[in-house]
Amino acid sequence: MQRLFRWSSKWWPGLIPLVILWAIAAWSTTAPLEADLAAQSAAASNDTVLDKRRIEVDGRDVTFAADAFSEDGRRSAVAAVKAVPGVRLVNDETRLVAEAKPFVWSAGRDVVRVTLGGSAPLPASKSKLLDAARAALGGVEVVDQMNLARGAPPRFESAALLLIDQIGKLKDGKITISDTQVSLAGMARDLGGREAIAAGLKNLPEGFSVVANDIKAPPYVFQAYKDPVAVTLTLTGYVPDNAVHAALVAAAGRKFFNEKVVDNLKASVGAPGGFAAAVAPALGALSRLSTGTLVVSDREVNLSGDAFYDAASLQIRNGLGKDFPQGWQYKADISVKPAAAPVDATVCQQLFSDLLGKGKILFESGRATIDPDSAGLLDRLIETALRCPNANIEIAGHTDADGDDASNQALSEKRAQAVMDYLVKAGLPADRFTAAGYGSTRPVASNDTDEGKAQNRRIEFVVR
Amino acid sequence: MAYLAMFHWGWLLGALLLGLVAGWIAVVQRGRGVSKVTARWLAVLVAALVAAALARIVPGRPGYWLDLGLVMFALYLIGCALGSWLRDRALSRHTPPA
Repeated sequence: MQRLFRWSSKWWPGLIPLVILWAIAAWSTTAPLEADLAAQSAAASNDTVLDKRRIEVDGRDVTFAADAFSEDGRRSAVAAVKAVPGVRLVNDETRLVAEAKPFVWSAGRDVVRVTLGGSAPLPASKSKLLDAARAALGGVEVVDQMNLARGAPPRFESAALLLIDQIGKLKDGKITISDTQVSLAGMARDLGGREAIAAGLKNLPEGFSVVANDIKAPPYVFQAYKDPVAVTLTLTGYVPDNAVHAALVAAAGRKFFNEKVVDNLKASVGAPGGFAAAVAPALGALSRLSTGTLVVSDREVNLSGDAFYDAASLQIRNGLGKDFPQGWQYKADISVKPAAAPVDATVCQQLFSDLLGKGKILFESGRATIDPDSAGLLDRLIETALRCPNANIEIAGHTDADGDDASNQALSEKRAQAVMDYLVKAGLPADRFTAAGYGSTRPVASNDTDEGKAQNRRIEFVVR
Repeated sequence: MAYLAMFHWGWLLGALLLGLVAGWIAVVQRGRGVSKVTARWLAVLVAALVAAALARIVPGRPGYWLDLGLVMFALYLIGCALGSWLRDRALSRHTPPA
């Protein structure tokens, strides 16, 4: 042992190369050592769900910063890094993710994008919600403005996924979850979208409730355009179902005796109450215009166009509102078509014959009450009568051969008189007209067929 | 420590070999050795460095370098002791005691 001490006094010369060796070792191993420890620390903390993880290694000391989603998770992550072989000290800068109170999450939609905002409970659920939004809204840009926070209510994720499905049905609007309370606002994309969303909300997970559902449906629009040049009536927009569709097209065919009906209607849910009862008289009013547009938007009816003469414009403006179900609004913007040039009696007769060849004045069966569907035709006849102010006109009623002659005679007279009364009420001077009934004495077709009978039941205007 | 040994085994082996050589030479070296007083001060210095390393009061990279240096120094000392002992045995075998 003594000899060892004696030798050791002469060991110092080796220290000089040792120091050099040490310096080289320190210089060349520091960076690889730090990289190795950083990789191992990262691997060790990977088992815990963390956000904003940052690992810095200085020598053998690790600075470990991260946001954890539970106290247990935070502790176990720090312990795992401490247990990495070679790590000397862990500088613990971990913390818990802030708790959101109330826990608010939202999905907002405008024309071009969907924005997910508020809080999400975990990074995994955040990306799941984003993926779901991208899948549900194929093609629409999805913007992520979600933060991570603790304090989400149970079953939050399934509630949010359900609501993301609903946002696809919105044109614009916002859906918000605040703790367990769901509120919705905005405009549905399609007719029926509001109802579809309401149905979807019934599947919200247990514990969640809808506190406000202010989703609006887009207006239920029905449009009819009478084009005097193309001689068409174009119907566009929505009708509640196929029965109403068929009834409206049939009514249009009766009221617009001259025009071809172009039917572009689609059936859709969401019609306001009393739709059919309001649209039918509105179409009747449109039929009295020379050119015009009817727009029914929800419970608002807008009619604009040109009437054939002054009295008709007044009647249309004031008369129609009465026919509508309660709660409906009616706006009429009716002007009067400029009076056409006067014509002589021959041309006048020709015009009457043309009109009555295209359409017939209809009456209630067996009675002398004019069917409202004939209002359009009568307006055209009145307009024509106004063009020949000097002509005297006989209004002649005819019937088919069914029934006894006396009642047919009486009926034809009454019907001719009813038409004359209508003309006088419209402002034409009574002394220009005579009403005459001819019963079945002047048939224009055979009374043996239904078709022929229908042709024989008629009103004629004869210029004298 | 096991991690340091595995990670730096090359450098530590170098320190050990250096110690063996220094110890081998020391036995027959004629020059003056370190005086007792100096040796004592050096021992105190090393003890202080060891204490600092164990207490982990030197932070970051200097702390790592200190650990590395002390480990290398320890192996150097072991090498020296082995080298001197081996040289001593070799000498005593060739030249019988006078």
